[in-house]
Amino acid sequence: MTLKLPMMALAGFVALGMVPSVAAAADTAAEQFRDQFLNGELTWDDVSARARQEGEVNWFHWGGSEQLNSWIEQVAAPEMKKLGVTLKTTRLAGTREAVDLVLTEKQAGRGVGEGSVDLIWLNGDNFYTLSSQDALFGSFAEKLPQSRNFEFDSTDPRSQLNLSDFGTPTGGQEMPWSGEQYICYADMARLPRQEAPADFEELEGWLKENPGRFTYVKPPHYIGNTFVQTVLYAFNPSGRGYQDFQKPIEEFTPEALAEIMLPGFEYLKRIEPHLLPVYPQNQQANQALYNNGEVDLACEFGLYLVDSYRKTGAFSETTETLLFPNTGMIKNKNFLTIPVNAPHPAAALVFADLMSRFDMQASKLEKIGYPLGIDRWKLSKQQQETANSVAPSHFGVTAEDLAAVAVPDTNASLVKVIERVWQAYIERKSDKPFPEIVLNAMKAG
Amino acid sequence: MNGKEGRLTLTKWLGLLPALTVLAVLFAGALVFAAVQSFGHAPQYGVTEFPTLKYYRGVLGDDGFWVSLGITFYYALVPTVLGGALSLALALSLSRRFRGKALALFLYRIPMVVPYLVGVSLAILLFANGGLFARLFHALGVIATPADFPRLIQTSGGVGIMMVYLWKQVPFMTAMLYANLIVIGRQPEEAATLLGASPWQTFRHVTLPRLMPALVGSTLIVFAFNFGAFEVPFILGAGYPNTLTVEAWRLFDNPDYSQRPAAMAIVCLLTLISAVCVLLYLMLSRRFDRTVGRAA
Repeated sequence: MTLKLPMMALAGFVALGMVPSVAAAADTAAEQFRDQFLNGELTWDDVSARARQEGEVNWFHWGGSEQLNSWIEQVAAPEMKKLGVTLKTTRLAGTREAVDLVLTEKQAGRGVGEGSVDLIWLNGDNFYTLSSQDALFGSFAEKLPQSRNFEFDSTDPRSQLNLSDFGTPTGGQEMPWSGEQYICYADMARLPRQEAPADFEELEGWLKENPGRFTYVKPPHYIGNTFVQTVLYAFNPSGRGYQDFQKPIEEFTPEALAEIMLPGFEYLKRIEPHLLPVYPQNQQANQALYNNGEVDLACEFGLYLVDSYRKTGAFSETTETLLFPNTGMIKNKNFLTIPVNAPHPAAALVFADLMSRFDMQASKLEKIGYPLGIDRWKLSKQQQETANSVAPSHFGVTAEDLAAVAVPDTNASLVKVIERVWQAYIERKSDKPFPEIVLNAMKAG
Repeated sequence: MNGKEGRLTLTKWLGLLPALTVLAVLFAGALVFAAVQSFGHAPQYGVTEFPTLKYYRGVLGDDGFWVSLGITFYYALVPTVLGGALSLALALSLSRRFRGKALALFLYRIPMVVPYLVGVSLAILLFANGGLFARLFHALGVIATPADFPRLIQTSGGVGIMMVYLWKQVPFMTAMLYANLIVIGRQPEEAATLLGASPWQTFRHVTLPRLMPALVGSTLIVFAFNFGAFEVPFILGAGYPNTLTVEAWRLFDNPDYSQRPAAMAIVCLLTLISAVCVLLYLMLSRRFDRTVGRAA
């Protein structure tokens, strides 16, 4: 028995491991294309020619926004057609569905050129999953012609937004598509700007006078995690704010991590009795609380959220963006990635390139208020002016205000620890000492 | 039992085959996969520790599991007991003769054909703090703002969850009990009354024992369903603590796929506990049957 079971497990593992290598050999043409492209042996004309041959590209994206869906149909698909490729989209309720599909197909032995997903719009957790399961096409981003619109030079600190996705190194395996910033919004008719809190201390004071008028989305939802991260940055006792949270977990001892997180978590515990006694599950639930007048301000990702929601009537005409917290508002990007078993890899590359073109980025900004994924300082003077003129309004704050307080996201390996600490310390009200909670959270990873 | 009737002939087996195939593949197959994963065999997520008890140890060692187990029992038992009592009363009333009986018999069944998710939506529309009742009470000046309406959903008190269960399950249990009442007929009750039994005595010693098999059967189905239900507590329950099914889903949905064996461990434990509860309940009801003189 002692020998038999591990042997069986081993046999099973070997059998499962062999299937992909056997099957992957089946589409040698696709494999060869990938290797040649990644090694820089192909010109862009070669890629475009192969893309036209492939004829179609399957893009899987979150389909919860009608505005985005119609932009894709009316702008992206016709442009793609001009390049000789039919854009087929699959609208998802959650990006995880596409990630699962890729992994299931990979598991079933479908290798390069044999899956059903060519591109996924994603960031954060989902990229982390695909990357850790070794399910990505490869380092393509810097090899596309339109990569000139991005800062990929790692010596420039501004490149971090393109090279790091929630702290996971992108390694060029995904192409930035849109930028986002964590903002808070309030109804000026209920909460005039001069009374609105500007930082977390003011929020605490305001909450004591207006109990139950604020809450945040529950971690481990990424909107909730981001709020907690913002608090941790603001209360970091080292005085280095977000900087400490850029490092991967390996560089921390449990004591050191507990030390920089404790004041932030103490703050969250302190304000909890004054919050609305519900942590909403997601941003939609939070918006419902806001629209229903249960809370006066709410936070989520969305540089132009207020503008687009005011236009559709989902928010009141008096809703405006707040510059809160002025200690740092997290900024990040979302990306297009190509999975390892993309059936039309050349068409996928062509699509990623098209989406990075200035005219497409400007159209996306103008028509549906999705912020630029390309970097402004890489654009020509004229392009910058165009971008400024088509950008929707921020309502109450300026782009400069928001840029001035922008801070990067937390390292993905720490986000998981932060989630677990929040669950233990805030949600489950663990009475264990804080360093022990942090230690357990780190061990659970 | 007669030997000839008891033997399953080939044709009977063939008749059962489609149903058995579905059971074996979809139910037993899934259960085996879940069990194997829970013992650490999930190479697709990079977990190759088979056989290990570490996921069970992790789950059982977590205080949250026991809190969730308690909540799971609470949400399953209260509507079962309360619903059983309500259904009994309703079935007895419906079995009497009264004006408009045909209409009543039609109306009470409506929730049975409405999906649970519609019930969930109704609960939100009516009882959420932005719901119809909150607004109504606010408009009438009973409460200062809609937010002051008592929180019935998305709290671990689970009032909203149990309301949906009752709304959906009372008609089902009533239908089962009512059908039995019709079959049993009124003669034994009339005989008892003629012999001088009070209405309570008639109910206690004549009606209830005869309804017992139907009551046990229907409450059993309802309990087992509630114990393993997911979508109602997921939408109407609290962030924490919530039922074991919701906890299992959270682990399963974690971006870190190596958490999935732990989710499978919870699912396996849930199945085991549910099966043990059902068995115990059946044994108790058999014992009751014997005490009232029915063959086990």
